[in-house]
Amino acid sequence: MKAFLPDAKKLRADAAAPFGLKVLGPNGSQIGYALRTMPRTRDIVGYSGPTDALIVFDQETQVAGVSIRHSYDTPSHVEDVKLDLLFMESWNGKTREEIAAIEDPGSEGIYAVSGATRTSEALIESISSRLQDDPLENVSRPLSFGWKDICLLFFLLVGCLFAFWKNASFQKFRWLYSVLTIGVLGLWMGDLIAQSLMVGWMETRIPWEATPGLVLLVAAAFVIPWFTRQPVYCQFICPHGNLQRWTRKVLPAKWKLRLSDDNKFISRWIPPMLLGVVLLVSFWQLDFDLAGIEPFDAYLLGGAGLATIFVAVIGLLISFFIPMAYCKFACPTGWLLEFVRRRSGKGKFGHRDWMGAGLLILAAGLHQGWFSI
Amino acid sequence: MRYLIRTGGVLLVLSICYLLLAGPVQQKQLNRRVKTLLLDVQEGLQKYHVEEEVYPKEMMSGRELIPFLAEGGFLDEKVLNPWVEDLYVNTGEVDDWLRYRTDQLAETYELKALVPGSDGVHFRLDSVENHSLEER
Repeated sequence: MKAFLPDAKKLRADAAAPFGLKVLGPNGSQIGYALRTMPRTRDIVGYSGPTDALIVFDQETQVAGVSIRHSYDTPSHVEDVKLDLLFMESWNGKTREEIAAIEDPGSEGIYAVSGATRTSEALIESISSRLQDDPLENVSRPLSFGWKDICLLFFLLVGCLFAFWKNASFQKFRWLYSVLTIGVLGLWMGDLIAQSLMVGWMETRIPWEATPGLVLLVAAAFVIPWFTRQPVYCQFICPHGNLQRWTRKVLPAKWKLRLSDDNKFISRWIPPMLLGVVLLVSFWQLDFDLAGIEPFDAYLLGGAGLATIFVAVIGLLISFFIPMAYCKFACPTGWLLEFVRRRSGKGKFGHRDWMGAGLLILAAGLHQGWFSI
Repeated sequence: MRYLIRTGGVLLVLSICYLLLAGPVQQKQLNRRVKTLLLDVQEGLQKYHVEEEVYPKEMMSGRELIPFLAEGGFLDEKVLNPWVEDLYVNTGEVDDWLRYRTDQLAETYELKALVPGSDGVHFRLDSVENHSLEER
């Protein structure tokens, strides 16, 4: 508060709309007004969760500043938004009525942050919604089906076609589809299925009305392999998987390494153990960015954290020598999708099932508070 | 030999996962201990205020405040120092990051838990603006 109103001394709850806080100065007179976006805007989910912002108005009822108090979104994306001063200061000088009336943020000079588009768009919408006329009414988003959702459905449908329609003249275009997934789905849109995304949704809510395309993609990634035993997402849609398919063509076969049975055995423990890490982070609410254990956030070139870039680069380098190394031996999301696929129609209880059972027991134990810190 | 290699490898993967989580878990545990300390001391200060009608008038560090409150029976003297996990009465100056101050009339209080080794505030609890323990 003092960052925006240095003379602020006290806050007093305002019993009238918009139910914010009166900011009082040294002599007890009102010098400003402050509003939190949450809990009213808790249903506005960015990439993986909602964001609580503080909006501070000066004596002239113009915005003196906006700051992020807390966010359930992916930490690296939130950090990018916080550090983009141009974005964070977009509202400064505007009145409550002016902001509430904004229909096209771009026309008012409020642009989403590159690399954290969904997080910043959700913040824009949260601020705008909080300043609307009826502050007691919880915000419910209407179903919005934008170009991103159309793109995601396009990739899903074409991916399914490649998986199920084995027409030779159609299949010869798979290389083009693969390049498009890397360029458009990965580098441009950054919409990859990741643990950070799914955990965020589980902890808050699934934003089906805000990002229906992404929700359908995630749902299809689980449901299609379950019923058809075709790993459509991993094998056809995932940009990181497709990039690895290209890397394996670079080096001649004689340079490829073959893992020994022992190394394969050990490597297969990596994904379930990472899923164990995901469970512990989620249930214990640790200050740990789950985007860092997978390479998928690295596709958001501007907004990627060092850990995710490290995982992506090392994974790709290894995949030159051990084809699809990351997919086969390290991807927790792929392991989860594969787990669904493997169970369809089999009657035996294999090592994956034991691992899955172990994770289930861990989750149940964490939920019951058996393993507390 | 084969089992030894496999067991060693799995333990190595487990160790890496442990290393990933060790820092955040320790931080969470420290946060909880610091919050417990602040709430205990806050309760002691409130009891003191009920008895004396003012808060303690001097600015004090934790190792001064806690024995002071314990002497008057406002706080259990077996309060733990969260930064060293030992009794606060045994705490040296270097391991004490709790700060207390009041206003001129001793009508308000402010408790700050500093980030060890710096002047940054980790948690703040006071009778005016910060009634809850928000992380800074």
